[in-house]
Amino acid sequence: MSESFVSGPSVGSAAPDLVVPGLERRVSHAEPRVLAFVRDGKLTEPVTELPTIRAELRGLGAELVVVSPGGVWSVRADDPLEPLAAASAELAAEVSDAAQRYGVTHDEDAVFVIDGRGVVRFNHRLERRGRALWATLTDALTIAGRAAHMREGHDARQRVLFTRREWTVTCLVVGCATAFLSACKEQEHRPADRRSPPAEPAPPDVEVMLRINGTVHRLTIDPRTSLLDALRERLGMTGTKKGCDGGQCGACTVLIDGKRVVSCLTLAAMVGDRDITTIEGLARDGALHPVQRAFVEHDGLQCGYCTPGQIMSAVALIREGHATSDDEVREQMSGNLCRCGAYPNIIAAIQAARRTRG
Amino acid sequence: MQPFAFVHADSVDDALATGGRDGARYIAGGTTLVDLMRLEVMRPRSIVDITGLPLTAIEDMRGGVRIGALATNTGVAYHPLITTRFPALVEALLSGASPQLRNMATVGGNLLQRTRCPYFRDGVSPCNKRAPGSGCAALDGYTRSHAVLGTSGRCIATHPSDMCVALVALDATVHTRGPSGVRAIPIGDFHTLPGDHPEIESALLPGELVTHVELPASAFAARSRYTKVRDRASFSFALASCAVALDLRGTAIRDARIALGGIATKPWRAREAERWLLGRATTTDNFRRAAAIALEGASPRPDNAFKVELARRTIVRALQRGAS
Repeated sequence: MSESFVSGPSVGSAAPDLVVPGLERRVSHAEPRVLAFVRDGKLTEPVTELPTIRAELRGLGAELVVVSPGGVWSVRADDPLEPLAAASAELAAEVSDAAQRYGVTHDEDAVFVIDGRGVVRFNHRLERRGRALWATLTDALTIAGRAAHMREGHDARQRVLFTRREWTVTCLVVGCATAFLSACKEQEHRPADRRSPPAEPAPPDVEVMLRINGTVHRLTIDPRTSLLDALRERLGMTGTKKGCDGGQCGACTVLIDGKRVVSCLTLAAMVGDRDITTIEGLARDGALHPVQRAFVEHDGLQCGYCTPGQIMSAVALIREGHATSDDEVREQMSGNLCRCGAYPNIIAAIQAARRTRG
Repeated sequence: MQPFAFVHADSVDDALATGGRDGARYIAGGTTLVDLMRLEVMRPRSIVDITGLPLTAIEDMRGGVRIGALATNTGVAYHPLITTRFPALVEALLSGASPQLRNMATVGGNLLQRTRCPYFRDGVSPCNKRAPGSGCAALDGYTRSHAVLGTSGRCIATHPSDMCVALVALDATVHTRGPSGVRAIPIGDFHTLPGDHPEIESALLPGELVTHVELPASAFAARSRYTKVRDRASFSFALASCAVALDLRGTAIRDARIALGGIATKPWRAREAERWLLGRATTTDNFRRAAAIALEGASPRPDNAFKVELARRTIVRALQRGAS
């Protein structure tokens, strides 16, 4: 799907030359520049996007040069749009050569950010998916601005991107930071008050089909429902235990398609048509599973609350086959805590079941 | 947990169309996101289930490896292409979390793992990462687990990932797809320092999706190791960790990578220490000198001052393992 710019200049390397025919001045890299290679034979003026493009260029302290077989344009933050070259056979040939030097093929669009020392600081292959050129370019500039902020904003030792003037860096940091801070605030960084009521009516429930121990259960659930809560609170399968409800204790371990997972951090809506095995599903025809038997025989428990999770985890461990020594079993059982400290007998039970299985 | 709309994405395009919406979050393994949503530290308005996307493959790529963003930690750690070529990545992955969590967690999610700082996670303390501008409770708090490198006056939270430390030592590149196209981001640029904006943790834009990670073939990958020091023998976050990768000719160091975890605000590359080792011999004295250089910029606090020496010793041990 996506490869890096294998043949073109990578981030941190020198930008290849670009010569625009018919113009006195060579488009050098003496100042920060955003170079966009586009396929379009004919460029039209950006209308709705121009203010955003200019704002991003002001933030970057850079000029945008749009290069296409049908013409070359310059866009600056404060100057009128400037056509640098019109369509010609010579231009098409030079653009083709330049694109090759930049590793851009004829069927793609790409953006490069080049700093005041002629070093590529960012590259970006565009995907338009039916959108207009300028809309896509605007998004690309926003990303370039963000990337520049990432590199420049926090660490003075890494301030190498835009060297034209110190104020450029300042504008960049302040401009981008403000924009992104407000965007972030909008999204998810509202101060968390645990008891605050939801701001909006609850989104719709979802329908799920859970195949548990071979039986399909159809449920309509709030999307927040964990697999653990679906098992215990909706289906009455209380063999699976809730300990920490945060993935740290392993009491809620179940198997999904044979792999052990913690059901407290699994959303029921995400299980899909995979097979769920719980502690209730281990016994066959009234006979305990060998691991269950081993836990009984070796007294691998005290209060018993962590035991269903221990057993589910042990069943998977034996199948995985990564552990043979006691130390390896301990390591591979580290996701299952036992507050009673029944570990010696748990290890003994697992080792016995593992050896019996051969 | 705050209510959210649940969306299942059938394709990458589908995911991008919904994932870019205001307040949307992608979900894969859920080991970070569901945890933080339950604590109400994260409160997305919608979550986009990307587990159905075809991004799980682990493939050879000109002697390197390309790892799909939805490959699980377990899937990567036991994959022959990884075990034969990138031992540091195997050691890092298997030293992290528990088998259950490794079965769930994905490479893409691991890149975006969030800090274990207790003041971030408690949902009420001032925290510039969780609530920008609210302050940092850790600065005057209990800081045993906090960072000594890359800190700012606004945040001293440690980056928790083991995997990312190995990726830094192995020169990984993170590939993304977003609203306007694809990007290749060197791992060193992927995570950002807290600076004045600890709420920004990576170069990802809203809606941008990690598609895969590439590990290039290199002369140092085969001799790479991950060494982790923690409070208990297993299932614990690093107090200090170190990924090294060495290219040796005899006992002379031709090329070196040193990356640190558990002590910095982002997966930390010790470039000066690497440079100092070039051309030198694999002696313990040289490793000690390199370790000292790596920690030169450290700014410890009373509770975590021990991490400076601990990190130095971890580096020396990691280098010794890499060279042996």
